[in-house]
Amino acid sequence: MSFALMILENVLRMAEENGARAVKKIRVEVGELLMVNPDQLEFCFRAISKNTPAENADLEIETLKAKSLCQSCGSELDSVHSRCSCGGWMEIRGGKEIVLRRIEMEVEDAQDRN
Amino acid sequence: MHRIEIEAEINLMNENRRYARENRKILRENGAVAVNIMGAIGSGKTLLIEKTVEMLGDVKIGVILGDVVCSADYSRISKYDVCARAINTGKECHLDAHLIHETLKMMSGLDLILIENVGNLVCPVDFDLGENFRVVIVSVTEGDDVVEKHPEIFRLADVIIINKIGLAEYVDADVDKMERDARKLNEKAKIIKMDLKLNAGLGEWIEFLRGVLDVSRNSGRSCRT
Repeated sequence: MSFALMILENVLRMAEENGARAVKKIRVEVGELLMVNPDQLEFCFRAISKNTPAENADLEIETLKAKSLCQSCGSELDSVHSRCSCGGWMEIRGGKEIVLRRIEMEVEDAQDRN
Repeated sequence: MHRIEIEAEINLMNENRRYARENRKILRENGAVAVNIMGAIGSGKTLLIEKTVEMLGDVKIGVILGDVVCSADYSRISKYDVCARAINTGKECHLDAHLIHETLKMMSGLDLILIENVGNLVCPVDFDLGENFRVVIVSVTEGDDVVEKHPEIFRLADVIIINKIGLAEYVDADVDKMERDARKLNEKAKIIKMDLKLNAGLGEWIEFLRGVLDVSRNSGRSCRT
């Protein structure tokens, strides 16, 4: 729910800054290590965006993979490991971010306002 | 009416990270070590704090208690001679760096700050509070598969406490399996098998805290920067 709230607050702020009447599409990228279930995130977003300009927006959610980087040999793996095959410790990179990437919104033309 | 597309590029975790950095700075300036204690409801977080306070009578301790609504934990801790503050998170299931920021600013002149997070093994993981150490406490009564079911919180912990080991045989829990699961997820963490009611494993925990406090005192700053 807190992630859905963070998304909505930022989307509504940007909609207001741009004088948007409705938000049509939102693209969000979520790190896999946040363990967020996309269906649940969408459910929460639907619940809290009711009666706001983002009410009917399409919410696109993409999962971002985490990587492991070996502190000894420098090799990089596309999944989470604590030890490298060389025996060195691996540092986990990424997978913890939640990025509001893109917003598509409907904005009034000048003549619409007249 | 026309459509516009905005490249927002906002990392929504940045605001929490910014406050976590601020909190770390406050701790460094005050020469205090902060420990974020996470665990499920009933795992023994509050009792661990009570026992710690009792055993570290010579240390100036502050306690921050995060709870969804009530102040029961606060009542338990405030009877001790420590600086205790309660934070009600309302509908949120975790503490975040912003929530504890103002409280931390008020807690000066302390050596050790114990932060009891909201009872939950999932949500607190994602929110760095600016703490120096992360502790996760689980009890055998949660089932011996609780560690493998919640990998992330164990992967990022500095100390993993397996509590209520005296009850293991009554709830068919395999403590060694829990320890193996924890070690598989986190090779560096200190793992302590404990039973708070029986005072088992407490010595190891207190020794860990004393070690951390010594390092902090000698270096004039806290350990994780």
